Amino acid sequence: MDAKSNMANEPQPREGESRKMEGLGLESVIQRAQIHDAQALGEIYRRYVRRVFGLCRYMLNSRESAEDATSEVFLKLQRSIESYDGSIPFPRWLLRVAGNQCIDALRRRQRGQKVFVEVEDGAVVVEAASSEPSPLGAVISTQEKAQVRDTIARLPENYRVPLVLRYYGELSYDEIAEELGLERNNVAALIFRAKQELRRRLAPRSK
Amino acid sequence: MECYSEQTCALAVDGELAPDEAQRLRDHLLTCRRCRELVDALRAENRLLSESLQELPEEAPSPAGFSHLRRSWVWGDLAVLAVVLALGSITSIWFDGLSIPAALEWFNPFSASGRANLLFTLFDQFASGGTAMLTDYAAVVGFVSLLLLLGGGALLLARGRRRQPGLRLLIVLLAFSLPSFGLERRDAESVTVAANETVDDTLVAAGNTVRIEGVVNGDLIAFARTVEVLGTVKGDLVTLSKRTVVSGTVEGRIYTFSESLDLDGLLAHNLYGVAQSLRVNDRGHVGEGVVAAAGDVTLEGDVKRSVNILASGNTDVSGTIGRDLTISGVSLTLTNTARVGGNLSARLRQMNEAHIADGATIAGKRDIQVHVRESQFVRPRFYFHQAVWFAAALLVGWLGLVLFPAFFRATTQEVGSGWLSLGLGVAVLTGAPVAMIVAAITLVGFPISLMLLALYLTAIYLAKIWVGAFLGQILLKPSGSTKGDWFLGLLLGLLILTVVRFIPYLGGLVHFGVVCLGLGAFAVHLYRASRPAITA
Repeated sequence: MDAKSNMANEPQPREGESRKMEGLGLESVIQRAQIHDAQALGEIYRRYVRRVFGLCRYMLNSRESAEDATSEVFLKLQRSIESYDGSIPFPRWLLRVAGNQCIDALRRRQRGQKVFVEVEDGAVVVEAASSEPSPLGAVISTQEKAQVRDTIARLPENYRVPLVLRYYGELSYDEIAEELGLERNNVAALIFRAKQELRRRLAPRSK
Repeated sequence: MECYSEQTCALAVDGELAPDEAQRLRDHLLTCRRCRELVDALRAENRLLSESLQELPEEAPSPAGFSHLRRSWVWGDLAVLAVVLALGSITSIWFDGLSIPAALEWFNPFSASGRANLLFTLFDQFASGGTAMLTDYAAVVGFVSLLLLLGGGALLLARGRRRQPGLRLLIVLLAFSLPSFGLERRDAESVTVAANETVDDTLVAAGNTVRIEGVVNGDLIAFARTVEVLGTVKGDLVTLSKRTVVSGTVEGRIYTFSESLDLDGLLAHNLYGVAQSLRVNDRGHVGEGVVAAAGDVTLEGDVKRSVNILASGNTDVSGTIGRDLTISGVSLTLTNTARVGGNLSARLRQMNEAHIADGATIAGKRDIQVHVRESQFVRPRFYFHQAVWFAAALLVGWLGLVLFPAFFRATTQEVGSGWLSLGLGVAVLTGAPVAMIVAAITLVGFPISLMLLALYLTAIYLAKIWVGAFLGQILLKPSGSTKGDWFLGLLLGLLILTVVRFIPYLGGLVHFGVVCLGLGAFAVHLYRASRPAITA
């Protein structure tokens, strides 16, 4: 019963070093991580675990799977970080890695079935004057943001994943196309349709 | 000039339009109000999407939240584990397959393994000796419970799997009883499911050796000295044994209470265990996590999720852990091949007991704390706690005496029955949980078992008060029998008991004896009170 009171509040080992790490710029942290510095890797984990988890959570729609995927991403990072060359910002690179991980997980989940199907008329232009509701209003309260989030979570995978990669992961259409193994045109069409579907679902609620 | 389509505008807003086309669109926007409004609206929409997504839902964890949440889960899991083990003890009454260990040389309560052995021996005794009457009783109650359960259990399970420990406990209880509708019992010296054999139900096996080479489609509940799974168990594996070896496949979970557990094969879900030695060999794979209290732990294989270990010895990790590794123990070794996908938190006796090889991979944070042992008697807080406990016990004793004077005095006197109280106390201490669980597996009986549990815990607490008061009376030999005398006796007796409790080894035994004596006295008194009074 007294076990807790017996725990000495001794300083953690190398605490000073981890403090130092917090003050370091991202670039130096990455450089140290690339030579397998455990503290640096830990620091990257600390800084980005939430963001990576967010992406996985949106993409996989399951907390458990998202936690699994997040762990996988950071485990693999130990090796893959060597290949990071600084040509794109690190967070974006990391989210691409995470996106890949999630897409693999989705593919595994749907064994054999194609997860992302090309839309037949990928590049076909949808008329501006269509009867779809207009783009969502800009003035939206926090509560409504939660509604937007919930609605996105309920979109079919085909729509949800590119939308999340674009607006949460901030990946370009080309990057998304590469991750999903689709043509760029298809990605554009999927994102466009995802937004239309989102508007349609949110329409009765929006004022 | 013709207006642009919404899709083209959307591409432009996303910055995905070819530069020359983007320029043409910008030129067009200068002159076209309609398109300009569309582009503005699309831009606002993008902003809204980004902002909405950036705010993660409440449940999204921070890195700290990860471990916090997991810890609260551990409690739930441990509670489930406790019930499973208790349930194991009751089911063991059903069988007479185990023999009492002949060799007594390891019957040494002063070593860790001795204590574990003592426990196993108790289970052995319980399972084999003189429980014929209880067996009959349990069989009848169990049969009635099953009938009641079928309806109620289905109802409860249909309500969805809520993740509350209480409900999970109930579901575990139900899960145990429901499949036993199609239950197969095998009770022999050696129970073997041959390689070409398939058992379609849950198999409850008891014997010296239980060996599964074929397939069990339900759960396997085994009580034996040695349990070996070489084939496949499609459900959960529950073992109460000296040695459990899994080199085949368990597609459910493993709940084990064994002296040693070796996982050589595949486990699809969680491993919950209490074991003297727990080992996941290099071919072993755990599909989810491990929650265990063990002496020594060796993890050479692969655990997909978190590992939570309370170890009284050494923990060696050379395999892969998908998420966090949380241990409390004497020493921790991570070899070059060890991989931890989350945080490492360890509480050890000494900092130099943590051996983490340079090649070991830890994705998250390392948090290694020292657990100082000897400080208990040095800390003022300890004495403060003891004083508070002592005062509380005195207060409870006094309140009991004021509110139920006859009952408290009589129970105190019954402590004097000596061996009768002690023997009955041991029986109540071990038997009451069984009775509670028997009651709990019927839905109707569940509240009753909760009440019984409350009574049981209260009686355990009060035991030291009755024994203390009795001891005090013996020592003081008061001439009268006023409340003051009783209370003075309690004060002295409790003081002695409190001090004695901290004598190494002996204190524990004395404490155990006190609890048994008190419980027994309580039971004797209840028994006497329930008999019709004989009028003179």
